[in-house]
Amino acid sequence: MSSRRSRQAAGVSRISDDQIIELVAKLRQLLPEIRDRRPQKVSASKVLQETCNYIRSLHREVDDLSERLSQLLSTIDADSPEAAIIRSLIM
Amino acid sequence: MRAPSSLKQEFLRKWILGLQICSSSAKSMSISERKKAIKLSADIAMASARNGRTSWSRALIASASKDDNHGKLFVQQILGSDCERLTKISTSIKRLRCKKILKKSSGTIIRRRMKRIPDKAVASSIAKQMVNKRTQILKSLVPGGVFMDEVSLIEETLDYILSLRAQIDVMRSLADATEMMMNC
Repeated sequence: MSSRRSRQAAGVSRISDDQIIELVAKLRQLLPEIRDRRPQKVSASKVLQETCNYIRSLHREVDDLSERLSQLLSTIDADSPEAAIIRSLIM
Repeated sequence: MRAPSSLKQEFLRKWILGLQICSSSAKSMSISERKKAIKLSADIAMASARNGRTSWSRALIASASKDDNHGKLFVQQILGSDCERLTKISTSIKRLRCKKILKKSSGTIIRRRMKRIPDKAVASSIAKQMVNKRTQILKSLVPGGVFMDEVSLIEETLDYILSLRAQIDVMRSLADATEMMMNC
């Protein structure tokens, strides 16, 4: 089948199906949704969809945390001892 | 799968470097300006913690160094001496892969118009189209993804997700610690 063909081609750009399957399996390990379900029944399309959703949610979290940090750091009274600690650390 | 703590330490160290730049202008910044600076420095710090070993990190740094606001400053501060080496590599990769993509896409379109697809193959071709569509979306989410082939894309995605999780863990810890300190 196509995997045999790609192994015979032996070019750098030809990739085997096995490699893809292995990588997709690793990806599934990371996704919170799919990890607990029946292992073999998940389609590549579903894995990709879950991956995109997961990355989007991770981006949102970074955004929310940045917002939260920004607000926290701005409400610190500039002359308080806490501010001095944080200032010596990061700001 | 927990992110290795050495990655987090590396990220924190570099992020602190970046945030210290804003300290002089900190008082005059609005909340949204500071938020952007925090986020940008965090992203650059995480990308630089990969030490140029992944495509996504190089792509992120390359696009950040073109940013007018604080991007360039953060990149210089956080990357230090590696700055030039890492930003140069990305541009040459981009140019190479752009040509590849143009060639590929024009070929596929012509082929599709001329072929008559038998009914049985319709279902599998729809499945393929869905995978292609989702792959395109993934490419838009991972930095530099549009220039990657499918295998690299999946490998890069794996690394990118782990890095994002490490970044989030550290940022959350800092936010929690700051909050705790302010409440006592």
